[in-house]
Formats: sequence, C-alpha cells, structure tokens
Amino acid sequence: MAATKDSKEQKYDRQLRLWGDHGQEALENAHVCLINATATGTEILKNLVLPGIGAFTIVDGHIVSGEDAGNNFFLSSDSIGKNRAQAATELLQELNSDVSGNFVEESPDKLLDNDPEFFHRFTIVIGVQLPESTCLRLGMVLWSASVPFLICKAYGLIGYMRLMVQEHTVIESHPDNALEDLRLDRPFDEFKSHIKSYNLSIMDKKDHSHTPWVIIVAKYLERWLSEHDGQPPKNYKEKEAFRQIIREGILKNENGGLEDEENFEEAIKNVNTALNPTKVPTSVEDLFNSEQCNNITAQSSSFWVMLRAVKEFVYNEGSGSLPVRGSIPDMIADSQKFINLQNVYREKAMQDAAAVSKHVESLLQSVGKPPESISEKDIKLFCKNSSFLRVVRCRSLAEEYSVDSINKDEISGLDCCCFRFFSYLI
Amino acid sequence: MVQLVGSLRKELADSLSTCKVLVVGAGGIGCELLKNLVLTGFKNIEVIDLDTIDVSNLNRQFLFQKKHVGKSKAQVAKESALQFCPSASITAYHDSITNPDYNVEFFRKFMLVMNALDNRAARNHVNRMCLAADIPLIESGSAGYLGQVTVIKKGLTECYECQPKPAQKTFPGCTIRNTPSEPIHCIVWAKYLFNQLFGEEDADQEVSPDTADPEAAWNPEDTAARAAVSEKDGDIKRVSTKVWARSTGYDPIKLFNKLFKDDIMYLLTMDKLWKKRKAPTPLDWQQLEVLVNSEAPASGLKDQKVLDVWGYCQMFQDSVETLSSQLQEKGDDAELVWDKDDPPAMDFVTAAANLRMHVFSMNMKSRFDVKSMAGNIIPAIATTNAVIAGLIVLEGLKILSGEMETCRTVFLNKCPNLRKKLLVPCVLDPPSANCYVCVSKPEVTVKLNVQKTTVLSLQDRILKERFGMVAPDVQIEDGKGTILISSEEGETEANNNKFLSDFGIRNGSRLQSDDFLQDYTLLVNVLHTEELERDVEFEVIGEAPDKAPPPQSNQEEVNSITNGNKDSAQPSTSSKAEDDDLMIVDSDEEEVAASNSAAVATGTKRKYSETGESSAKRPRTDQSDAADDEDDIVALD
Repeated sequence: MAATKDSKEQKYDRQLRLWGDHGQEALENAHVCLINATATGTEILKNLVLPGIGAFTIVDGHIVSGEDAGNNFFLSSDSIGKNRAQAATELLQELNSDVSGNFVEESPDKLLDNDPEFFHRFTIVIGVQLPESTCLRLGMVLWSASVPFLICKAYGLIGYMRLMVQEHTVIESHPDNALEDLRLDRPFDEFKSHIKSYNLSIMDKKDHSHTPWVIIVAKYLERWLSEHDGQPPKNYKEKEAFRQIIREGILKNENGGLEDEENFEEAIKNVNTALNPTKVPTSVEDLFNSEQCNNITAQSSSFWVMLRAVKEFVYNEGSGSLPVRGSIPDMIADSQKFINLQNVYREKAMQDAAAVSKHVESLLQSVGKPPESISEKDIKLFCKNSSFLRVVRCRSLAEEYSVDSINKDEISGLDCCCFRFFSYLI
Repeated sequence: MVQLVGSLRKELADSLSTCKVLVVGAGGIGCELLKNLVLTGFKNIEVIDLDTIDVSNLNRQFLFQKKHVGKSKAQVAKESALQFCPSASITAYHDSITNPDYNVEFFRKFMLVMNALDNRAARNHVNRMCLAADIPLIESGSAGYLGQVTVIKKGLTECYECQPKPAQKTFPGCTIRNTPSEPIHCIVWAKYLFNQLFGEEDADQEVSPDTADPEAAWNPEDTAARAAVSEKDGDIKRVSTKVWARSTGYDPIKLFNKLFKDDIMYLLTMDKLWKKRKAPTPLDWQQLEVLVNSEAPASGLKDQKVLDVWGYCQMFQDSVETLSSQLQEKGDDAELVWDKDDPPAMDFVTAAANLRMHVFSMNMKSRFDVKSMAGNIIPAIATTNAVIAGLIVLEGLKILSGEMETCRTVFLNKCPNLRKKLLVPCVLDPPSANCYVCVSKPEVTVKLNVQKTTVLSLQDRILKERFGMVAPDVQIEDGKGTILISSEEGETEANNNKFLSDFGIRNGSRLQSDDFLQDYTLLVNVLHTEELERDVEFEVIGEAPDKAPPPQSNQEEVNSITNGNKDSAQPSTSSKAEDDDLMIVDSDEEEVAASNSAAVATGTKRKYSETGESSAKRPRTDQSDAADDEDDIVALD
C-alpha cells in the first residue's frame, strides 16, 4: 500500500501542488458519467482520467461512424461499426490504470425509460450533444437526486456549457486573499496569558529582535486600549499613530540610531490587517439564516449539520466568533517562540472544534443518527474553514425553460442565461 | 457559398494538408498540440524535444504511458499520435533545438513554428531563429490553471524578447555560506552541497564558511586564533570538499559533524555576523543520537510531513549512503546530476536543507515544500494544457488564412474575470523600438568592471546567459578587429581567464558579438565602473533593477505559480532535471527565490482586443476578485 501511495505521489506530483491531497482524494472518490463519447466528450473525460478520478462510465447507444474516427482522437478506424461507448472506454482506459472504466451500450433515453435511478450513483453526469428533450428529462432526475449535471454542446468553432445543480456545498474553497485569524481585537484567555509571558522592556537584543510580530502588536495594542478607553485604532490617522508607537519600540544602538529589527518592521507592516475586527463574514451569516441550517432533519447532509453546530457555537461558547482557525502565518521569530505561539492558537482551535463536536453530537442525536456518522477529522476541517464556506446553487433547466418572460428566440440563440456561467468565444 | 471541409473553409483545409509545421517541445502542451494538429488535418509535422519521459509527466502528457518512462518524448509522442492518426507524416527529433543542425535553413522549411517549451533560454533561441528565417511563431505557456498564447511575426508584432523579463535572481554568496535567513537560502546551499559532494564541482557553489565576507571584516591577526578553533577546517580548506569526503569514505556521521557542527562553530567565531542576528546552534550527531525518542511515524502523506531533527539526521545518513554507493558503482571521476525526481538526491537536499534551517533557527519544511522550492516546480494539469493547445491551433489557422491582423495574445484565467471571461484576448503590440533582438541594429550598454570581468564571464554570464546567445563570436571594435572570443573550439580558450582590460577594453569600448546560428549581431557598449553592488558582476543599462519582493500576503499563491521554472543555463527544449510544461510567469534560474520578483513580471501590460472590450484599464475592486489579481501575474516570458 505504501508503495502505491509513493508512486501515486510521484505520478500526481504536479497536480498535488495545485489542489492538494484533499482535492486529490475528492477526485479519486468521484465516479463520472459521460453521455455520448463525441470528440468533446472524450476530450473532457481524458482531462479527468489523466489526473485520476476513481471511475467513469460512458453511456452511448451510437455506433462509431467514419466521421467519429476522423475527429475523435480516442476512436480509430478499427472501431468503426463498434459501439461508441465501448470503443472509447478501451482507449481512455489506457491513459490511467488507476481509473476504472465502464460503459453502457444504451441511449440515455432508454435508460431513463427503464431505470432512471441508474444515474443517481454518479458524482457528476456530463451530457454532450443531447437533444433538449433528453436534457430536460435527465435534468429532472438528477436535480431531485442532487447530482450535478453538466451540459455541453459544440458546433464547429463554437460551443457552450451549462452546469445544473440544486446545491453544491464547499468546505475548502481555497480563498486567494484570506485574512489571518489572529483575534488580536478579541484575545482569548490563553493568548492573553501568553502575551503576558513576554516583557519587551527587559529582553536582550537577540530575544527582542526575534519576538514574533503578533506578540509585538498585541503588546502595543494593550497599551493603546488602556490609553484610548478601550477603543482600537480605527481610521488611517489612528493606525498611523499606532504604527509610530510600535516604531518607537525598536531598540536603539549606541549611537542613538535604530537597530535593524525586522520583526518590528513586520509588525508595522501588518498593523492594518491585524486590526481588522474579528467577525462572522456575511456570506456565512447568510448560510446561518438559511432554511437548511435551521431545519436539521435526518436527511440533512453533514455540511448542514456541521454548519448548524458552528452556529450554535458562535451563539454560545464562541461569544459571537467562529471557531479559531488555529494557523498562523510565517513570521520572523526563533523556532521556539514561533512554536509556542503556534501552539497557543492550535490548542484553542482544538478546544473550539471539540465544542463544535459536542453540538454536532447532540444535533445528530436529535434526528436519531449515531454521533459517529460525522468524523472528528471532518469537524476539524469544517471549523478550520468556517469563514470560507460556500454554497453554489443554480436554477433548474425546467424552471429556466418554462419562464415565459424570456423571449423564445433568445433561448434558441446562444445568448440565453446558460451563459451566465461560462462562455468562451474568441 | 463557402465550401466547408469539417469546420474549415476548403482552401484552408487544403493548405493544412500540404504545409509543414514545427512543434518545439513534446511535453504537456506539445502532446495536446500534436493531437489537435492531426485532428485538424495537418499532415506534415516535425516535433523536437531533447527530454525523456518521467513518471511525473503521466498525469497530463497523455501520449505517454508507464512503459515509456525513460524513452524519448519526441519519438514516443510521434508513435502514439500515429497510432491514432496513421495518415499523418510526423518526423521526431530527440535533440536540443539549439543544436546547430537546426539552422536558419531548417526553420525556413516551415510555414509555422509552434513553441511548447518550458524554459526561457530555448524560447529566446527559437524566437531569434524565427526572426532570422522570417517564419511566424506561436509562443505559449502554462502554469497551474493559468496559461497564455501569443503570436510573433517579424516586423509586425513584439518579439519574445521585446519586453524585458525580470532578472534572474541569485543570492549573494555570503548569504548562502554564512548568514542564511530564509529556507530558500538553505535549500540553495543544500543543492550546492550535493554538487560539491557528488556532482560537478563549481567554484561558484562553495558551501563552506566564507572568510572574506566583508560584513565579518575581521582583523588578519585573528585568523590564526580562528584556525585554532577548528583545525579540522584548516585541513579541509586545502583540499576540495569532494576529495575530503572521499577520504572519509563518505562517512555520513563525519560529513554531518563537519557540516553542521565544525563549520557552524567556525562561523560562530566570526562574531561580527552575530551581533544583530541570532547566532546559529551547532548540531552534534552523537548528542542527538542519545536524545532519540522512537515515536511511531505519523500517518498521512509522508512527503507533506515535517520530521523532527533526528528524522532529518537519518534521512541525511540514508541518502548519503545511497548516493555514495551510486557514485562508487559509476567508477572513478563519476559525477551525479541532481534531479528533483530522483528520490535519494531529493532526500539528501531535503535533509541537508532542513538541518541547516534548524541550525539557523528557521522552521523546517516538508519534503514536498522543499521539492517545490528546490526544483522550481510549476504545477501542471492536462486541462490547462488542452485549452492552450487548442488556442495555439486557432491562432495557427488565422495565420495560415492570411489573417495575421486578427491574431491575438490570449490569456487563460483561473476564474472568469469581471466581464465573465475565462479567456481574455488582447491586441498584439508592434515591435519595441528598444528591443535588443528584433531591431535592425541591436545594441546594448553594459556596466561592468573591465579589470574584474574575465573573458569567460563575458561569454558565459553576459552573452550566453543574459543575452541568450548560443555560440558567440566577439570582435573588439578597436580598428584592428581583435578577436576576443571565437566559437571555433580551441581558438580563443587562452583568453578565457584574462580580464577585459588585458585586451585594451575600457570605458566606451564597443564589442561586436555575433551568433552565426541565430544570424544575430549585438553591439555591446562597455561602461566601466568600479561601483557595482556586492556579488553583482554587471548591469544592463536601461532596464529596471530587481524589484522588491511582493508583499507577504498571498505569498503562497504566488509561490505556487512562480517557483517552477525550468530554466537552466543549458538551453533545451526541456532541460534535463526539469519538468515539462512552460513557464508563464517569470522564469528565474533554478536557484531563484521562491517568493521573489514573480508577481512583478514586467510583460504584464495588456490591451483589450477591440472586439467587445472597451477599456484598457481594468477596474480593480475588492480583494475577493482573485481572478483579476492573477491576471497580472500571467506574463508569458
């Protein structure tokens, strides 16, 4: 097992650096259904098979034609006359032995007639060149089963795609410019006592210049608050004054000049973001207020159960704040000081996650589910990402097509609302 | 009524089946491109790549399978593509595009050249060859979710070198040898150490304490006292690191104690260095061994775990043993080449870099992270390469239809931008009047010290590395036409170690540098100076100096895009130790700081295509508009 893990790490190295091991895990747990192995269809599947989805199933009732063999890289002239699902599966399977390839030699309409539940098993269904009627029928089946449905069409040099999903919940949304969660404005007890363990005025030069900037800002902020009726620096002018106070804390050398203390420079640079008030982001607030969060049932997915538990936490133990994230940025400090500081945040994050876990447990109990149906690991991950949670919702195809107010001509043209999602015409 | 063959006009379809095209590089983009070309109806394709297939290619280079690992990329790509499309005629070259066989005549055979490269040196070279042959070139690059395609045509558009690229960042020797302050310094040191011990020794890659550090500025009389502190070190100095290591039989513990104890103790005696810095703490193998606590190894991906000090000690021991036995098997005078995808070589660098980080009180890094920084790895996926290869063909079709004016440079974003566009086309700029490559009489001014610059460093550092020449001939414009450098082997080697001043070169001298293969002549004006910064050999006038590092925030994101870079001094379609795909962002030398200079790539300006894009300035809204931020990073270079 270890060996396969190693070789996978090697093979997938370049993509692991993009989406990490959780992303890879999600990919490897995915079972993708492709309807119609056209050139577009196999191209999509190629890009999913290479990075290692768990499995794919091609549904296609067509027989490979000469035209198919000419424009589809994954069909050769030998496959003319064979079933297209089978022929494409054989060649796509060759791309990656870690992927399990399956095919069904039937048209989607037939499957919908005989066994619509067939489609429930997939992580996502990709339909290529489907007629509108099939799209609508399949769309309905997948909508109620909460399976995402991706519709793609290509005509010569133009094409379009449209995603349909009732609800897609995202825990790890990988925000690009996430602010750190340092709680300088509302320090927790353990952090307060950690700050107390530092005394900048009696430190020697080395320790002084290797004290993490978070401690420096926290120290000077304490002083500022005591001199300003507990009000933190708010506007530019006050922040600039606060920076000046920190600047004055830099040690002087024998000639009265400033020592080179990079940690203080870092503190000054970080004042602005560090003083950002800790609050629940409005996007998360909105989720707290949503129906799915407030009405937990046995059918609720673990996302909503955990969200509700986090909400309970915010209104109780958290006193208005989300669980502490528990990670701190790299900063100038010696290893010991850095690790000590990191541990303060980490331990608090663990405590908070444990509190959330208790809420999860009682929520699960209230709907008659065993507490172990949501793992501690998942709860920790959820808490860590609680400021970045996202829910994506789309309109169903049926709803979209039935809207009378939309001009029918526009729908039949390429300018319909599908294009709200993506459009790439060059 | 226009006659169509598939999606194409008949005349265009006909010309595809007769015209000859060249694909430079058979990596991530190259594989996708070959597929697209044969499916579009191109019949005469030549492909060149000097690289061989590695396991880490298989997640996207779909023409290759596990059984092909170690074989020629160009050859296997050809065979795989032919299996799918037997009617095409594909010629494969397992070779470097800078080989003189591929001269201007060779390039003139093609209607179109398409680059699918991964390093700046080769891109520069193909750019010049296409300018010399006057053949249209489509240039491309990808990094993670980002990508770019552009078109280069002599006299009509900017060439690849019209926009100055950020300088290749290197670190001062004393930072590496004496006073590392960031993990990257330790990683660079560890890579140097690998070469000193197992590979090709390079005087520029010293790893022992640098006693000439001007910051240490000690008195000569103290030297004796210092030598006494570590007499072993005194011994080592006289022989090379490799000879010494060999004399110990590559004993890992002896090596360890020299590198992480004796050398560090020696550094501690240079007390001026530690007045303002935290002093390093020497490690001692025997002491560490006593403290070992045998914890069960943690679960999870082992690459992404940070081990404890003893863990890295063991990794050091194991990797030194493996590498020294590999060296022994190869026989006397053998050398190993560092490769990030070679497990013992990567283990060695991980261990040595982390031990040094620990000695200098830095937080240690996982093998995964060290690999990113040491290998300058660019993340890469099939999807991005497929999109980019598709765009290359679309631009190619416009060129072949004679619609060069409709060609665009196209950027692929990570998320749709404010106009909901994932793909952003921009108008091509005309050639830059200041380009030192594509103007009719290229000329540059270089500031250097004629008494300290050797002929060899003029050739290697300035003309080859900086100005992208492959085999320069240099003549001094002194009225006598003195030949300073000849590309003919053996003609001017005697000049190599002499200084420029030895040949009468002084302030205002003009050097005519010629690259016969590239059909390129560059006039270098010498500006003598004695005031260059420490560790700076020369400066090119009129170019922005190194930019400051980008703000700390978002650094991880920036790193992940910029690290990778396949650039090495050796031009290639894909340099050996490096990966496949391209570099979009900036490319810096292997040793480049992960965090530096990338976000400030210079070639970022872009103009919106008239079609559907009105404003040239894009509004910058809140910070959540991540896609937009990244646009600025994408600059093909």
